[in-house]
Amino acid sequence: MSKYLTFTDVIFTNQALLLAALADLGYTEVEQGEGLHLYGYQGDVRAERAEVVVRRRFIGSASNDLGFARTGVGYTPVISEYDQRTLHDGKFVARLRAAYNERVVKEMQQRLRGSLRRETQGKLVKLRIRY
Amino acid sequence: MPEVEFTINTETGEMEIHIEGIKGAACADVAKLAKELLGHPAREENTPEFYVRPRVQKQIQPKKK
Repeated sequence: MSKYLTFTDVIFTNQALLLAALADLGYTEVEQGEGLHLYGYQGDVRAERAEVVVRRRFIGSASNDLGFARTGVGYTPVISEYDQRTLHDGKFVARLRAAYNERVVKEMQQRLRGSLRRETQGKLVKLRIRY
Repeated sequence: MPEVEFTINTETGEMEIHIEGIKGAACADVAKLAKELLGHPAREENTPEFYVRPRVQKQIQPKKK
């Protein structure tokens, strides 16, 4: 049994951009609702609940459900210790944050009606909006 | 031309934003939009440009005779 970890310091403020970022990482099947139960890899219902859930069948046979619990300031990840260690080579949360941040930049570009330039410098991605 | 520069660290997922060429309160509007989508930043500082008041110049046109 893998325990769930809640990342209270990682907040995704905008639900639509969170869903888009999950899709960017390949998670297109996402369940949304109020206080959805999370299930472990053996199909056991867990104590944790979330409002945005990727079911384990869309992740991997040994995985647990992946959730995002709504708080007063946004959505915070609720991920099992196992998945946190294994998904995307243990970098799932960092990759999701990066994907979310890129989505934020695209949203700002649209709202500011600007042009966007993107370049990669090693591990850094530089994006510039001119308007 | 106003420019907003974003730097995303792909290892950590963290992002830094630098707003350039926007004087005074207009800069705060862009920052407000960023905060709406990202939440409150861990660190925030104003560049000297923030404190510059935009100059409004009166245009006086000569009277047509």
